[in-house]
Amino acid sequence: MRVHEKSVIATARTINAAPSAAADAAIVLASPLPGLFRIALKVGDVVRPGTVLGELEVLGQLIAVVAPPTASGAVTAICGAHARPAVDHGAMLVTLDPHASAAPGAVTAAAATTSTTGLVFRAPTSGRFYGRPGPDKPAFLTAGAELVPGTTVCLLEVMKTFHRVTYGGTGLPERARVRDVLVADGDDVNAGDALLALDPA
Amino acid sequence: MPPLFHRILIANRGEVAVRVARACDALGITPVFALSEADRAAPYTRDREVVVLGPARAAQSYLDVERVVQAAVQARCSALHPGWGFLSENPLLATLCAQHGVTFIGPPPHVTTLMGSKTRAKAAMRAAGMQLIPGSDGVLTSVEHAKAVAADVGFPVLFKAENGGGGRGMRIARSAGEVETAYGEAQAEARAAFGGDRVFLEKLVEAGRHVEIQILADRYGHAVHLGERDCTVQRNHQKLIEESPSPAISNDVRAATCAAAARAAAAVGYVGAGTMELLLDGDVLRFMEMNCRLQVEHTVSEERTGKDLVTAQIEIAAGRPLAWTQDTIPLTGHVIECRINAEDPANGFAPAPGTITTWRPPVGDGIRVDTHVEAGYVVPPFYDSLLAKIIVTGRDRDDAIARMLAALAAFEVTGVPTTIPMHAQILASDAFRTGAYDTRAIPGWP
Repeated sequence: MRVHEKSVIATARTINAAPSAAADAAIVLASPLPGLFRIALKVGDVVRPGTVLGELEVLGQLIAVVAPPTASGAVTAICGAHARPAVDHGAMLVTLDPHASAAPGAVTAAAATTSTTGLVFRAPTSGRFYGRPGPDKPAFLTAGAELVPGTTVCLLEVMKTFHRVTYGGTGLPERARVRDVLVADGDDVNAGDALLALDPA
Repeated sequence: MPPLFHRILIANRGEVAVRVARACDALGITPVFALSEADRAAPYTRDREVVVLGPARAAQSYLDVERVVQAAVQARCSALHPGWGFLSENPLLATLCAQHGVTFIGPPPHVTTLMGSKTRAKAAMRAAGMQLIPGSDGVLTSVEHAKAVAADVGFPVLFKAENGGGGRGMRIARSAGEVETAYGEAQAEARAAFGGDRVFLEKLVEAGRHVEIQILADRYGHAVHLGERDCTVQRNHQKLIEESPSPAISNDVRAATCAAAARAAAAVGYVGAGTMELLLDGDVLRFMEMNCRLQVEHTVSEERTGKDLVTAQIEIAAGRPLAWTQDTIPLTGHVIECRINAEDPANGFAPAPGTITTWRPPVGDGIRVDTHVEAGYVVPPFYDSLLAKIIVTGRDRDDAIARMLAALAAFEVTGVPTTIPMHAQILASDAFRTGAYDTRAIPGWP
């Protein structure tokens, strides 16, 4: 397809469209950037992970937009039947019916279910989680680390300032051992979200 | 007279976005709000044109230069207002705007770059007759470099983000042993807040007062000042209260420094609204840095002069000459501004994101409230905690204090803790009334 060729030549970046589930379980593939979008598909086409949906023109650069690893199905609606509409971040590019193509090899996203039924340490406030004091520094905690009141658990970035979160609080034992760190560096957490799974030490 | 713009992209959020939109409305210009997903439902964007830039994370929305300029292009905006913070002092944004036919409302990128380079800025200011604070010649390159410079100028020293502002990315080191931690923390905070980790250091002038001068300059070499603002009441370098005139400087120092600041701005080719930040060290106002953008507390100067700085910025960007000469700018009365943040002063100023359930700002003669908040607004955890600014004008300082105390008492907010009680306590204190305080401690606050 001509659009694809063009994008391969002209673009320096390839960006995965961000999938978000629509109400009727159709898959909506949305634009990851604001830009001018040219669709490469028509209704009825089959999309698999890696399929080029079209190209996005951002400040003159042509960027191929490809389907993410979790997306697969038949196209039921498209954006851009007219030439080059301006799309926002999050605007629908194509809608897929995942049942229309039970293609072999389709990737199923297996949600990793982490047990949080046991003893957990929860975020005292919402913010962005950092498990290490700096990008090139070792993590504050790893599985097996022992916790006593005052042990640093993480940094939470709240409203652009960093706050040190220390172990302690009601319902937690005096000493505990980290079974698992439940969130990744840079994740946004809400107040009360489980950060650590613990075993009593 | 060059024509004004039809559409302006507001590349910012919250209170400043509302302020710029008000100026657009006054000039008959359509504002378009560029926003992140987190601000999609913000009340101030209701019935407005918007472009969604990206996710809540500022690095992928408000700090992404390409997304911002592309948003201006596809929303058919011929100009872009960067507000304060975020990309407002990023010369790349101004450059990219120019390349894509969008007028950047602010100084030309080479001036922002000059003022961002501390050595060159200081040299330019020295040549224009301003006094300076000793410190590093430009950005620190390593911990070893930081240690060497700190030892050279003498402890204590203050680390500051090169692209900083608003007090973020600043740390103090009082001895050689504290340099590594302070330097690293300043870098980390600068990275998070400004998208760059360049840090420099200056000798920490203790017991100083923070005074700044508002400048406005056009493209044709005319520059005026709109008086000074005293921003000495700070917490962790975060301004809490600003007032004008400064109660701590004499008329002679005021007149001489304000005139020198306007001259210096013209000398470096400054265009638009800007602020010279100075530190009162004894009787001398020493140049710290120039902020090449509109500032949060520009409202104080607006109330003292009766001038609208944001419409002036837009007119200057459109190529119009300055509408005022220095002698047509009145400086009357006494103005005080309190910043109301979603922070809990009773709990170490912990930021408090949450939902505002009651919101009744004070109204009355001489009271101005600038805000983006209304009842039901959800304060997101991703951005800074400013909810509103109360600006009061009085005949003199005592009158302004009395009016501010009444305004603070009348302000009803529930849902999140705010700094209102702290302001009331500061303004009622003897230390604040007598002016006997400096940047080391908050007057009337333990």
